[in-house]
Amino acid sequence: MTVRCAHCGTAVESDRDDGEVFCCAGCRVASELIRDAGAAEEYYARRAEYAPRPTAEAKGWESVEVERTPRGTSRARIQVDGLRCASCVWVTERVLGAVQGVELAEVSYASGRATLEWEPGRTDLSELAGRVSALGYRPRVLGESAPADRALLVRLGVATFAAMNLMLLSAALYAGWFGGMAPRFVALFEWTSLVLATPVALWAATPFYRGAWTGLRAGVLHMDLPIAIAVSVLYGHGVVSTVTGSGDPYFDSLGMLVALLLTGRVLEARGRERASGAARALAATLPSEARRLGVDGHTETVPVGVLVPGDRVAVGAGEEVPADGTVLAGGAAVRTSVLTGEADPEAVGEGDPVFAGTVVERGSLTLAVEAAGNATLVSEMAEELERATDRAPRTAGSDRLAPWFTGATLTVATATAWVWTALAGWNAALAPTIAVLVVACPCALALARPLGAAAGLGAAARRGLFIRSGDSLLDLAAVDLVVLDKTGTLTLGAPDVIAARDDTIRVASALERWSAHPVARAIVAEAIRRGIPLPDAQAVVETPGTGVTGRVDGATWRLEAGDSGEVRLGGPGSAAGTIRLGDRVRSDSRAAVETLRSIGMEVVLLTGDHPEVARRIAEEVGVNVAGARVRPDQKAEWIRDRIDEGRVVLFAGDGLNDGPALAAASVGVAMGTGAAGAVLAADGVVGVPSLRPLAAGLRAAGAARRTVGRSRIRSVIYNVVAVALAAVGWVNPLVAAVLMPASSLLVVAGAMSVERSVRADDSAATGGSAQAADAEPLGRAA
Amino acid sequence: MNALLFLVPVALGLGVVFVILFLIAVHRGQFDDLDDPPERILHDD
Repeated sequence: MTVRCAHCGTAVESDRDDGEVFCCAGCRVASELIRDAGAAEEYYARRAEYAPRPTAEAKGWESVEVERTPRGTSRARIQVDGLRCASCVWVTERVLGAVQGVELAEVSYASGRATLEWEPGRTDLSELAGRVSALGYRPRVLGESAPADRALLVRLGVATFAAMNLMLLSAALYAGWFGGMAPRFVALFEWTSLVLATPVALWAATPFYRGAWTGLRAGVLHMDLPIAIAVSVLYGHGVVSTVTGSGDPYFDSLGMLVALLLTGRVLEARGRERASGAARALAATLPSEARRLGVDGHTETVPVGVLVPGDRVAVGAGEEVPADGTVLAGGAAVRTSVLTGEADPEAVGEGDPVFAGTVVERGSLTLAVEAAGNATLVSEMAEELERATDRAPRTAGSDRLAPWFTGATLTVATATAWVWTALAGWNAALAPTIAVLVVACPCALALARPLGAAAGLGAAARRGLFIRSGDSLLDLAAVDLVVLDKTGTLTLGAPDVIAARDDTIRVASALERWSAHPVARAIVAEAIRRGIPLPDAQAVVETPGTGVTGRVDGATWRLEAGDSGEVRLGGPGSAAGTIRLGDRVRSDSRAAVETLRSIGMEVVLLTGDHPEVARRIAEEVGVNVAGARVRPDQKAEWIRDRIDEGRVVLFAGDGLNDGPALAAASVGVAMGTGAAGAVLAADGVVGVPSLRPLAAGLRAAGAARRTVGRSRIRSVIYNVVAVALAAVGWVNPLVAAVLMPASSLLVVAGAMSVERSVRADDSAATGGSAQAADAEPLGRAA
Repeated sequence: MNALLFLVPVALGLGVVFVILFLIAVHRGQFDDLDDPPERILHDD
């Protein structure tokens, strides 16, 4: 009969039932120790209260920033890893919501962030985190209580509101300067402008003051410095001219400058937040629970966090492998796409290694855990990804101009002050010196990059390539080496029937009808495509890793793996035969590669697949093979080596396993049809199932980069001219009213020319060599 | 034209009301997560 172990409660077979049955020697010893200590009664009655809750403790929950809400409750945000679907979110929200004292529990599936609000004293964060980990998810400290961009958004809102109104008032003032305006209306408009400009200059612009100050202390002349100088000089000058009623305050320039620059900051912050979700997406592919085998062969369900090397776990069909290990018993077809990106399952048997995150498609396994938790291969990949996305921000081109710009402006201002003081006394020097600092406002210079990049982003997006940030787009313009993944990038990424007779397909589809295996799906899809009605099959038996048997039309058939890229249908009738399967090359891959070549790119293939298959595919689409049977980390390393050689590398891939390579590349582009993790790790996404947008995107990036360069030159010329005029005292409101908007308008006009020039390139390209070469389907090795 | 002396501040005041509404919306977290709410309707509960 079955009784419970007196110590741990595991079910054991025994003919005794006197409370003295133990599942193992360890439990017996533990129980004896407790009894010897005279604590048995107390311990067994109350041990549930003392039982450690799984994992959440000792993770520094007290360090989480807790916000006080006006309602007197506490609010904090934590990261929850391991949420895999909408129901994970649902369960987490329900369980947390049911805890006494919890006012609000909201979990975001997209970012894995939980917002918690509770009554202090009735519960606390470590208890809530404990509940989350008891469910099998992994809570961790996030280190921020509100999204980082909230404060920025508020600044942007205020600055934009003020800027719009300042423009309106200034337009009236400029018009009045030409047509005449009663002094009291001038005063009204100027004082209203001052009221609007004050919060912009003193509050909304503080990020720039802070940036400038931090840069100064670090001994760097940051782009924020000329901005900070311009804002404070413009504001100071505006206040003085409003109060004294002399001169033009230029508050509109101030408002626009701050509002536009803050817009750029907000977009940047949003992009960063999304990028930080990339590593989480990888971690989320790990299962949260494992079935661990006890010494006596019983299984218990435990959170993956408690697995240690040496444990034995059981994995059944359709389940994910919870840890890295070696197969002790059983056989299975395991899909390793998370690691290798290859769609074909791999047959594993006794003694073979299997890795966490891979999926057992058929069969079942018992494995000995060798590495669990953070030590698994997939976790190491996630970590690599996190490091890569945290890489230091690239030095923006305008930042390299900043020191030069600031230095020149300050030198000219000093020179102006000195010369005017020498010639006419310091009283006369004040006006031209301030004029120099005012007209040297780097509006156009600071706008050149964000506007040009935005135009390029739009042009690329209309052609199917979505790039995440302006920086990445401008990097894209410098690319000279395009590295392509094979599966899902050059090819469709899923097996497809290439050759088979109709009657073979008919019987095979009946056998495979209910299987979720990719090969089965391909066969059923082919039957549907050919219009073959699916017959019924009886007594279908799937044998792990080998094949399927079943009765169709009264005869017994067997479908099993044949030579590589083939399945064989065996049986009594004429339907017996083979079905050839392969990963088809996308029909326009060859044309896309040719277009890339025609704009001067070197195009290579880097794949985890067999060298022979790589060679055939490469020949078909016309690229060189840079490497085959390459592991994900080796791909990333190969790309880093090329970058060290001075190349600028674009990598296009689709699998989660391509994450490290996508992050390592100068610009990583994910195929939108691929895994979500790849999309998150990439700088951009191809939104259509084709490689054609790559070339179009590269051209858009080139046009944007040229435009940014031109705009910068224009704005520098403007500044030189304006500063020269100001230095000799020739700047008056008329000059300022024309020159200042004109310089910004030139930048805007330049940005608008991007789309036009890309369209011209488009027609040049399609007039050339871009006929779609319909690719021959190709078989692939297992 | 004297109406301007009155209308400009009034217009500004109206604008400030909307800025305040925007600030309230930001503080209530309406802009924190622009990805999830559209999907939330698909969850069954």
